[in-house]
Amino acid sequence: MKKVIAALLVASVAMSAMFANGTKEPVSSADASKEPIRIGAMYALSGDKAAIGNNIMRGVDFAAEMINAQGGVNGRMIEVVRGDTQGDPKVGRSVAERLVTQDHVNAILGCHQSTITQIAAQVCEQYQIPELTAISTVDNLSSQGYEYFFRMCPMNSVYVEDQFKFIADLGKQNNIPMKRIAIFADNSNIGQELIRCAKIWAPKYHMELVAEVQYSGGTTDLTSEVLKLRDSKPDAVLCESYIADAILFTKTLREQNAHPPVIVAKANGFADPSFIPATPGISNGIASVVEWNADLTKGKEINAKYKEKYGIDMNGHSAESFTAMWILKTAFEQAGTTDGTKVRDALLAMDIQGSFPGGPEIILPYDRIKFGDMEVEGVKHTHNNLYASVAIAQIQDGAWKTVWPFEVAGTPVQYPAKLQ
Amino acid sequence: MSLKTTYQKRCLAALLLFIALLIALPLLLKGSPYIVNVLIVIFYTTTMSLAWNLLGGMTGQNSLGHAAYMGLGAYIGALLITKGGWNPWLTIPVAMLIVGLIAGVVFYPCFLLKGPYFTLVSIAFGETIRQFMLNWDFAGKAMGIPLAYGKPSFLEFRFHSKTPYYYIALVMVVCVYLLMRKINKSKLGFALKTIREDEDVASAIGIKPMKYKVIALVISAMIAAMVGCFYANYNRYIDCDLMLQSFSTEFVLPAIVGGAAFVEGPLVGGVILLCLSEWLRNQFGGILPGINLILYAIVLLCVIRFKPVGLLGWYGKSKAKDWVDHKILGKKDKE
Repeated sequence: MKKVIAALLVASVAMSAMFANGTKEPVSSADASKEPIRIGAMYALSGDKAAIGNNIMRGVDFAAEMINAQGGVNGRMIEVVRGDTQGDPKVGRSVAERLVTQDHVNAILGCHQSTITQIAAQVCEQYQIPELTAISTVDNLSSQGYEYFFRMCPMNSVYVEDQFKFIADLGKQNNIPMKRIAIFADNSNIGQELIRCAKIWAPKYHMELVAEVQYSGGTTDLTSEVLKLRDSKPDAVLCESYIADAILFTKTLREQNAHPPVIVAKANGFADPSFIPATPGISNGIASVVEWNADLTKGKEINAKYKEKYGIDMNGHSAESFTAMWILKTAFEQAGTTDGTKVRDALLAMDIQGSFPGGPEIILPYDRIKFGDMEVEGVKHTHNNLYASVAIAQIQDGAWKTVWPFEVAGTPVQYPAKLQ
Repeated sequence: MSLKTTYQKRCLAALLLFIALLIALPLLLKGSPYIVNVLIVIFYTTTMSLAWNLLGGMTGQNSLGHAAYMGLGAYIGALLITKGGWNPWLTIPVAMLIVGLIAGVVFYPCFLLKGPYFTLVSIAFGETIRQFMLNWDFAGKAMGIPLAYGKPSFLEFRFHSKTPYYYIALVMVVCVYLLMRKINKSKLGFALKTIREDEDVASAIGIKPMKYKVIALVISAMIAAMVGCFYANYNRYIDCDLMLQSFSTEFVLPAIVGGAAFVEGPLVGGVILLCLSEWLRNQFGGILPGINLILYAIVLLCVIRFKPVGLLGWYGKSKAKDWVDHKILGKKDKE
């Protein structure tokens, strides 16, 4: 009984502490025309995914500043409300609830990890607030029939399809057969995704999966895996690894004298800023999917201003979140209101070609943004950006150079990969 | 119990008041689904912590794999619903049975190991289950399992409002707590506590440590599976990250901070820790990301350094308790 009383006391104290943290009332409708439009940005700002989240936020803040400097949305400023998910789905639900019901945001931008995006999408669905993700790529996010969820970035299967397209284009360009594909993947969830998607696309591009090499992340030796890869004599290798494994893989290729002519990574570890410095002189020729790269022919001016402000180039994530903010801005402008359902309808009706109305060009490797339905392997996906695609960059002379799609690329592909 | 003294009467009154508050809370908080959501998280996390405490606190077998039982329960529930077309409520007992069985069979030989070795095996078990789900096509591999989002219906365990989930979670935590109280005072409870204090003595007086440890583990795993089913139906999306080892730690902390030797320890610890982390994140998360985690860690370190018996262990002997007992609850010295 005494313990129960103790528990009771503690509970009351804790709860009163929580309630003291009062809610923000929405400003009265009288000055609604001046009230800012609030956009909740849900990313991991602390915890082990914080570096990624904070980088994404730079793109968001940069876009918000640019929009506000131009007079906002029909005279209303944009206010970004941060929600720190800590990379934890339980926290994600709580953050989404708080943003919608306490902070009264008009739309949610996010998230990074697909698990959290899925949970946020349910919260948004319930309160009829549009959610736009610029980064989450897991396919089944868009096959749930959510009415308020939109995805700007390509989904995993499109990422992998672009890897296949690149390999096929490269084959055509150099007049070499590209038939034998090997996969080298971490046995974590992202690695599994690569394998799943590769199995879908390989037959469609008339290629054959000759090896499927999986390893457990964080391993100290990849010799037998690399030998398996070498013995399968692939025309191209698709990779998915975290940074430490990506470095080890590259070093082991060198040690075992394995020279696959084409290596295309699905970003991740290979695109990590520490990858090139850690593999000096032996990683030239490795290619990777990028959502954006500083040497793309598009977005040079915006990147110059961005670099002036933050001291670094934009990368795929910040370029995507920057673009997503402009999509939301355009949707609010075209809806003429912050009513969730009308903004959703505006997003559905939106068709941006070349550049945003009264705004910058689309800086990503595609020229058109239109949300619609598509079908992959018999599964219906809704509200995906139909024209989303990625670019491929290759390490040449120790720096990432965009090499594909050929029309936006600044540099020709180096074939076969030198690996030295 | 007979209610003779003012103290007992007032204790009962306080308890009834608290129960009334818990029942009325969603109505009082109509405008704030956010806080109701936080309370739901508190309820299911403390239920997990209570389950852990049966094994960790009462039996002295520190498991760091409880997230795996919860995840396994969630997966079994979600698979039966999505692939088998089962009613969500029916999946709960089935998931509990299967998880209890798996835990009993797998861990029977593992209880030959003692102390840290058992803990290590529990970590390995958790990781094995996670990897298994990650590589199993039927379970959606890396994509996880989404549960259909549709019209609210009690039969489908699907609500748009937070209130029904709140009451379900409340019933869950109260039932598990009452069960733990019952076990604590039963022959089983005394056997478990004897094993915790000294296994050899327990064997000498006729308590079979193996048998009782397995019983404790199976009950604990079954409760975890039930929480897993609730989690799946509440969040309507699960993937194998649910079984990460870091989540297991989240269930251990409330018990340790609250006082693992007490049945109520996980409840007290859970309420304090979850409110604290939520409040810290709200206050500081947007201003200085990460500061909330640092403050949280400092509070944890202080509790473990200065009050290793947990908050309840400290409260039981403190002046605060005397004060509450005498001034508020009207306790007389001789009672």
